[in-house]
Parts: sequence; structure tokens; C-alpha cells
Amino acid sequence: MNLKEILELIDKVAERGIAAVEVEQAGTRLRIEGKLAPPQQVIHTSPAAPIVTGALPALPLPIPAAPPAAAPAPAAPPPEADSEAGLHIITSPIVGTFYRSPNPESEAYVSVGDHTSKGKVLCIIEAMKLMNEIESDVDGTVVKIYPQNGQPVEYGEKLFAVRP
Amino acid sequence: MISKILIANRGEIALRVILACKEMGIKTVAVHSEADRDALHVRYADEDVCIGPAVSRQSYLSISSIIAAAEITGADAIHPGYGFLAENAHFAEIAGECRLTFIGPSPEAIRMMGNKAQARETAKNAGVPILPGSDGPVKTFMDAQDVAREIGFPVILKASAGGGGRGMRICGNEGDLQSAFEAARSEAERAFGSADVYIEKYLERPRHIEIQVFGDTQGRVVALGERDCSIQRRHQKLIEESPSPAMTPEIRAQMNEAAVKLCQAVNYVNAGTIEFLFQDGRFYFMEMNTRIQVEHAVTEEVTGIDLVKEQIRVASGEPLSVPHGDFRLRGHAIEFRINAEDPRTFAPNPGKIREFHVPGGPGVRIDTAAYRDYVVPPHYDSLIAKLVVRGKDRAEAIARGRRALELFIVEGVKTSIPLHRAICDDPRFISGDFSTRFMESFSW
Repeated sequence: MNLKEILELIDKVAERGIAAVEVEQAGTRLRIEGKLAPPQQVIHTSPAAPIVTGALPALPLPIPAAPPAAAPAPAAPPPEADSEAGLHIITSPIVGTFYRSPNPESEAYVSVGDHTSKGKVLCIIEAMKLMNEIESDVDGTVVKIYPQNGQPVEYGEKLFAVRP
Repeated sequence: MISKILIANRGEIALRVILACKEMGIKTVAVHSEADRDALHVRYADEDVCIGPAVSRQSYLSISSIIAAAEITGADAIHPGYGFLAENAHFAEIAGECRLTFIGPSPEAIRMMGNKAQARETAKNAGVPILPGSDGPVKTFMDAQDVAREIGFPVILKASAGGGGRGMRICGNEGDLQSAFEAARSEAERAFGSADVYIEKYLERPRHIEIQVFGDTQGRVVALGERDCSIQRRHQKLIEESPSPAMTPEIRAQMNEAAVKLCQAVNYVNAGTIEFLFQDGRFYFMEMNTRIQVEHAVTEEVTGIDLVKEQIRVASGEPLSVPHGDFRLRGHAIEFRINAEDPRTFAPNPGKIREFHVPGGPGVRIDTAAYRDYVVPPHYDSLIAKLVVRGKDRAEAIARGRRALELFIVEGVKTSIPLHRAICDDPRFISGDFSTRFMESFSW
């Protein structure tokens, strides 16, 4: 990968508001992290190297002498933390596939702007052919729905932002 | 053909499977708990899925989360590693029902060998030597007394569903039998949900010698020689080696043959280990582990066979690649388990690794998922690295072990490295004449 391609990739990450992208090609590993909220700036995971998105040589195994690309501190706040101030975030309690409605024909349980209340079903997460209804644990207005309909979600992944 | 494997494990074994997949051109999916976001297996897998919180029961032991992770990533096979769900017949069964290839034996074989009393019965019927003892669980104290009198003291009580030394009691005389029986039962109940215990003759100075076996779907079973795992503490292995210093070609042939017979009796497919107690030239079946073992690398080093790749090939339906006919163990290999623990008290010592330097040079292999600044989480087992050394003979392997341990630097957490260094200098260890009770009298 040459410098031009890397720079193009950085632009794309910034443009699209992608959180992070990792590319591995012919022994070179490149990770670019973007900030979702403005200012749109490309940062490397290592706080010591703010702008550099260095092409790291593939680490030899099984002797990882250096910490692999300085893994981010687990407690680091997500880049969009500011925009979420005062919001209640509902995360996925299980791994599975996210569905906004009980079946493809019916309407979504909730849309952005809807009011929801404690105990009200917000979505379905399908795991092992089982439909698990995910309920709101707060009263408020839905201001953001993070995953797309039909998208796989991990444990702990953000599903909804609710303004109480 | 398998094209994408989900690894239902963590740590060095998850990484070991990823390495095998990389060599075979197979895609990998790592699953991880919230505590393992920065783990190497997550980093080096092609895809990764967070399956739950740190506590194992809700992540690495959660069958539904792991199967769901396989579904959303389109994996077509699951490698269970060791520990966690590796010997859970129900998990293997569900994987099969979800059209996922389970890289391991059939649920039936896991179930049959997972119950110790049943495994013992199967071994007996297959003509494999077993220790004198009760045929199946002893339900009452009176039954226990009858069996113990017949086979003679000392005896050992073991949980039928057990492992790892829990639910185990050694009893030297009849006066102690009642309390030992009750203690073993309640411990078994607590640890495994079943109070069933059985009784065996207790050997005073046995060696722990196990045979690596491998079966394929064509019905071929091979035995790949022994590993001597006599250096243990609290029934947990510290050092394993192959060949065993106590072995002769005749006994090895007998043990290999017994192991193959037992596998054939349960139509065993994939990698497994048959553990024996060995004393005075005689061996007795102890139990079977229906999975890849921590210490599999020792066998890999003396046979030249990549056991993990072989597991994947066999799970795809291919025949074993092991050549027919006799093969010899080449050289000598020793594994030292490097745990994040106090080397004297064996208390686990999780925390941040501030310095991590691993040795190299001829005959040295390190399997690890640790790195500098890695935080050893408190939620899982304390194994952080396996140092495997190989030499043309045992003396050279020990010499390499000694110098590799000297150059193995881990700071920030206490490790078993100083203990291993001391063992390498111990005349009894060097002589090769020791039993599973070695650590009881070892002082340094």
C-alpha cells in the first residue's frame, strides 16, 4: 500500500464517519480510527502518536515483544461521548441479529422521536432461532437507533439512545 | 470443507488454533468477553464477536451466545480448545444440530468418557487394565466399606463427574473412611452437581503417564506415544515431557495398544488423551480427556505432527495424515507451564505485565497470548505461556529448558518461572526418578 492510497483511505474514514478500519495486506497492518463527532480528525489508537497512522510491520508470532499496536485503554470514552451527554444508552444483552419489528411485514416497534416507557419492547434480537424481545428500561424519547435492521450485534453493543 | 472456524475459547489455545487456520487458509472468528477486548486472539482473528461479560458462565460457557456468534459470522465449524465447553456433550450436540462442525469427538463419545465410572467400565470391557475398585459409584457408606476392605487400604475416593482434584479424598485406614466418604460426596455435589463417588486402590508412588490418541472418520485410530506429567501440584500439571524417563519400548507398545483398543470401543474420532497411572512397570487406566490438551505441544515436538491442523483435517472428514506403520518419538521435549501465580503459594497473581521478554534459540518454542502491557484478567485460569524445549535427548532438553527459563523475563506479575528454574537444578528431576508426589517434598 503506498502513501497515496493510505491518505485516500484516511479521507474516506473521515468522510464517512467510520469509527475504525483495519487493513492487512502483504505483511502490513494499518489501523485508522476516526472521530464520529466533529472535529473530524484521524487519530491513531496510541495517545502518544496523535496523527501518525503508521504502517506497522506484522508482528512476529509467537513472540509479540511489543504490545500489538497499543491496544486502546478499555475505559477510554467513546468518541461520540459528548453527543450522548444526558442520554440513556440501551445496549444489547446478547449476541444475535437485530430486528426493529416482530416480522418483515409489520411496523417497527419504535422509531426516532417516539416516546417509550419502561417495559415497552424496543426490538428483537434473534439468537439460535429464538426471538428475544428487548425492553426499554427507562421512560423517555428515542433519539437514536444505532444498528440497521437485520444487522448482527455483539454483547454490549449500543442499540438505542433515549432522552429520559 | 471447512472455510471459517469460530474458536470458542481464549488465551494461548485460541491463538494456537488461529495459527493453524492461518497456515491452512481458513478464516477465523474469535469470541471474547468484555474482559478480553485487548486479548491477542481477538486481535489476530479475522473477525471477532463480544459474547458477554467477564464472568465465564455468561460468556465462554454460554452455549447460546457462542452459537449465535457463529450464526451471525457465518462460521461453519467450532473449535472448542480445552477447558470451558470442550468436554460438554450438550454443546457438541447443539453445534451439530445447528449444522456447525464440532472439531472434536461425537457427543456420544464425550458423554461416555466424561463420566468417570462409565469410562472405567468401558475400559474394563475393552480389556484395558484398571485399578481395583468399585464398579461404578458407591451409594452408601456400607458399600464403600465393603469395597475398601476387599481391595485394601489406602484407597482414593473420586467424584464420578469430577476432574481437577475436586471431590477427591485419599483414605489410609478404615477409621477415616466415613469422614472421607462424606467429604468427597459433599464436595462432588457442590462442584459438579452430582454426589456420586467411586473408590479405587490408591497407588503410593505412581507416575502420571498419558497416551495421545487420534481417530479419524474412516475408523483408523493411532496412538502417538506418551507424555509424562508426573510433576504436578494439587493435581494440576506443571511440567510434561515426552518420552517418559520411565518408559521402555515394550511398555510403550502395550500402552499404545491399550489406548487404541479403548478408542475403538467408543468409535473415537479426533484428538484425545488417555491418562494412566504407572507404577512398578504396570499401568492402570485413570481417565480419558476428549479434547486437545494443554500439553499437546510436547507430542507435536517429538512426532513432528501438527495436532491442531490434524484435528481440523479429521473434522472435515479427511483421513489421518499420520503414516502407517511404526513410528519413533524423535528426541526429547519438555513443557514448562508459566502461570501468573506466586511460585511458592500458587496463589493466582493477575495484573499488568510490565515487561515480557521471551527466550529463543534452537529447540525453544513458546505458545503464549501474553505481551508487554497485557493485563492478566482475574476471571480465568492463570496460564500465560507454555515454554516447550526440545533436545536430542533428555539432558539436552533440560539444559535448554534451564537456559530458556533464565532468559524468560516477566515483570509486573509473579510467575512460576523461578520454581521451574529450581526444578531444572534438582538432582531427582534430572535423574528422572520421581512420582506424582515429587512436589510434596520439593523444597527450594
